[in-house]
Amino acid sequence: MTNETKTPKGISRRGLLKTGAAATGAIVGSGLITGFPTIWAQNPITLRQFGTGVSNINAIAEKCKADLGITLEMTATDSDAAAQRAVTQPDSYDIADIEYWILKKVFPAGVIQPMDIKKLKYYDKIVPLFKTGKLTPDSVIAQGTAPHTVGYVEKVGDKTFAKGETQFFTMVPTIYNADTLGIRPDLVGREITTWADIMDPAFKGKTSILNIPSIGIMDAAMIMEAMGNIKYADKGNMTKEEIDATIDFLIKAKQAGQFRAFWKSFDESVNLMASGEVVIQSMWSPAVAAVRSKGIACKYQPLKEGYRSWGGGLGLAAHLEGAQLDAAYEYINWYTSGWVGGYLNRQGYYSAAMDTAKEFMSADEWGYWIEGKAATGDIMSPEGKVMEKAGAVRDGGSFEERMGKVACWNSVMDEDRYMVKRWNEFIAA
Amino acid sequence: MTPAMTDDETQGMAYPKPPITARIGKVASRIASYLQAVPLALILGFFFLLPILMIAVVSFWDYDFAGLYPDFLTMNYTDTLGSWVTWKTYLNTLKYTALVWGLTLLIGFWVAYFLAFHIRTTTMQMVLFLVCTVPFLTSNIIRMISWIPVLGRNGLVNTTLIEMGIIPSPIEWLLYSDFAVVLAMVHLNTLFMVTPIFNTLMRIDRSLIEAARDAGANGWQILWNVIIPLAKPGIAIGSIFVVTLVMADFSTVQVMSGGQSASVALMMKNQMSLLQYPAAAANAVVLLIVVLLMVAAILRVVDIRKEL
Amino acid sequence: MSHEKRTLEFYVLAAFFTLFVLFLYGPLSAVFILSFQGPDGGLTFPLNGVSVHWFFNLFEQQAVGDFGASFKRSFSLGLMVMIVNVVVSLLAGLAFRRKFKGSTVLFYLTVASLVVPSIIISLGIGVVFQQFGLKPAWYSSAFGAHLTWTLPFGVLIMFAVFNRFSPAYEEAARDLGATSWQTFAHVVLPMIAPSLIGVGLFGFTLSYDEFARTLMTSGTYNTLPLEIYGMTTNVTTPVLYALGTVTTLFSFSIILLALAIILVMRRRQAKVV
Repeated sequence: MTNETKTPKGISRRGLLKTGAAATGAIVGSGLITGFPTIWAQNPITLRQFGTGVSNINAIAEKCKADLGITLEMTATDSDAAAQRAVTQPDSYDIADIEYWILKKVFPAGVIQPMDIKKLKYYDKIVPLFKTGKLTPDSVIAQGTAPHTVGYVEKVGDKTFAKGETQFFTMVPTIYNADTLGIRPDLVGREITTWADIMDPAFKGKTSILNIPSIGIMDAAMIMEAMGNIKYADKGNMTKEEIDATIDFLIKAKQAGQFRAFWKSFDESVNLMASGEVVIQSMWSPAVAAVRSKGIACKYQPLKEGYRSWGGGLGLAAHLEGAQLDAAYEYINWYTSGWVGGYLNRQGYYSAAMDTAKEFMSADEWGYWIEGKAATGDIMSPEGKVMEKAGAVRDGGSFEERMGKVACWNSVMDEDRYMVKRWNEFIAA
Repeated sequence: MTPAMTDDETQGMAYPKPPITARIGKVASRIASYLQAVPLALILGFFFLLPILMIAVVSFWDYDFAGLYPDFLTMNYTDTLGSWVTWKTYLNTLKYTALVWGLTLLIGFWVAYFLAFHIRTTTMQMVLFLVCTVPFLTSNIIRMISWIPVLGRNGLVNTTLIEMGIIPSPIEWLLYSDFAVVLAMVHLNTLFMVTPIFNTLMRIDRSLIEAARDAGANGWQILWNVIIPLAKPGIAIGSIFVVTLVMADFSTVQVMSGGQSASVALMMKNQMSLLQYPAAAANAVVLLIVVLLMVAAILRVVDIRKEL
Repeated sequence: MSHEKRTLEFYVLAAFFTLFVLFLYGPLSAVFILSFQGPDGGLTFPLNGVSVHWFFNLFEQQAVGDFGASFKRSFSLGLMVMIVNVVVSLLAGLAFRRKFKGSTVLFYLTVASLVVPSIIISLGIGVVFQQFGLKPAWYSSAFGAHLTWTLPFGVLIMFAVFNRFSPAYEEAARDLGATSWQTFAHVVLPMIAPSLIGVGLFGFTLSYDEFARTLMTSGTYNTLPLEIYGMTTNVTTPVLYALGTVTTLFSFSIILLALAIILVMRRRQAKVV
């Protein structure tokens, strides 16, 4: 795809770059003809992206270089550092790969510029979950900081989010998933059906939840509600009283020794499970897969209350302009054009543009990962290792079954100040 | 080698010079001193003083969900100091500090003492000292992670003990507990105690010990009345290192307690993770004052500037 | 004391010392063993086969992060810190040999810089760079952040050195007609050289391993400790342990090198004297 179009477009490209941003519309227009005709190799462009290791994968940078000629420099950080960097070092990146819940705090800082959806080639392919909050027209919008609530602004320069779909997209969604309890079926020894099961005295000292304050409290909220202790108006935006009730509950459970540890990074959750420190904990689907790849039984357990979900996306740094901004748009269009989507799907995450990703996956892969069908052949990881044997069915079923049962999105609450205060109390207790 | 006290005297007496040249020399040397001190002053001024002042300023700012607003509010301080969580967290951090300080001092002193007084050749001393140093050069993060397979429920210690039949079931408090935190901190920080103490012990004039022995002092008396007083500056410096490092720690506490114990820096980090910088800054100022007071107390006991 | 026969005290302390060394190396040996995990092995025991797979993997591209580039940055930063540390500490040490106005203030500033919790400095420098519109980077803001930690070490060591440094040698050199530069270069410098090597090494290792001070000051690119930490946000493999093993061996060789240099210098000095 790249070689054929190299010469003529390359020249026109260089000419256009000189005229700067005015030509942007023309370039995006020309891009519609065949995939990604513009080649940046002649006019080297480097984009600096940062985010957690979840999606800052070297293979993506390599493929981007090969397809677009854009050098993508990726820096992996932990989730805290990602938020800090986004706000305090806005010049240090061109593309921010952050989660929607923290975007709620990052975007008002004015470090991210909204995108014009007219320049987004695959905007139409993005799943409606990120536009209206509904996966299908009749689904219920989940609680919390649902991505669509922070997905739009009315106009460039706005610092408050728009109520509905507009022309300006704050971030292009790229990766998302639904979290639930992961269990060691060999050590749990019974059916797990609800978030409340994590509080079973039988698992005393063998459970874990997330140690990121704004997410850990949501784990707790799922548990509280499942136990019938409380009914939240919105788990993702609690009142002070609800925060108090939740934290008090956590403190009691902690003092009773219910938890073994709290995990903060992907890796910690895998190690806790793999080493047998913990038999039931809130967990990500790919982390479950990682435990299983070590030959240890581990199950991503669907629960009747539904999932706690999260989503991440790519945002453009406010300082981007001219050729760099064009390149950034092109990169994002490439990102949503399918290859990356297929790659992320194969890791157990979900791509935001499912239709394009489908073209980059085999029928069997699509069946296993997305449709919840039994694998007809062995399912391989992107690194070429066997992840699941033929006949396996994915825990939690199809994409619709999983993402259709999201109870709540990861959130920042309006009362986040009070929440952190109380969370520190919980840790100190 | 001369004992510490006499050094200043020799230095003071060594400059008897003719008056006129002395005056010129004095001016020249004063200018030289200033010039030599400039780089240090500049670096500390820009990278230390300015940032600290900035933190102090930000700690009075207002903030809300979306951003920071320059202001002069004492709210961040009243919030911080008015909450029992802060006090409890400080107490917990001080507990770690006291435990780690005590243990590193005990271990560090005897290790340094052994190296300084029982190893006969300088080469051997140096080699053994370096043997102690090497683990401290491996990445802190890796060294910390490495405790987990050792102390875990199915880790080295537990499996060994169970296989030997000493315990029937794994000991749970080895990992994700205060024990684990203190253990890892001692592991990470003992060298900071060994080095300065070793240094001061090496400088003790051996004839002093001989003299004490000739005067009929026994081993403990020599230790207590001669060696320890002379080792004080080293102990002071080591204590400053350890106290500071432990008071400011967040990663060890977080990893080794499995996120279940609080420390002051961790509290700050939680606030920073939601971009609540003024609150974190107020916390930082309080922490800074506490640490400076502790160090000032140490310096009151030992004037390291004179006795170094 | 050292010429007597071995006492009971010696054996007790020797046992204590051995225990201490075992304690130091215990977890490192876990790292060492686990770095030989089989290709399917994880970060914890039990071993899943034995191989040198992860050592080769260390030099291959990882799924996330880049050891090579971040190592280069950390190494260069370490060298920069080392050089500046030696030069500035030496100058400051010389300055403090005489009393000058502000010397006490500067001294306490240095001590304060040592004791300020690392995360505070990190936050502060980050905010300063932001407010002044400067671009944070590992070679600017993080460099400065590391110096606030390593310089006090260097200055304190130089302090200790010069406090015990008899001016008689310099007097003698001057009496023999040496200029002050000659005195410094041929008399003072060789005598304090081992301490300077110590200051340099201290600077390098403290910087190489610094995490908290780099956290908010590193700018676009990660140093090695940050990179390792960032990598734990995805599946990590025993390659981290392989890195630990290699680093330990690497530091061993650096130390041996430094030791050799010091010994050679001593021998030379011994010849001169």
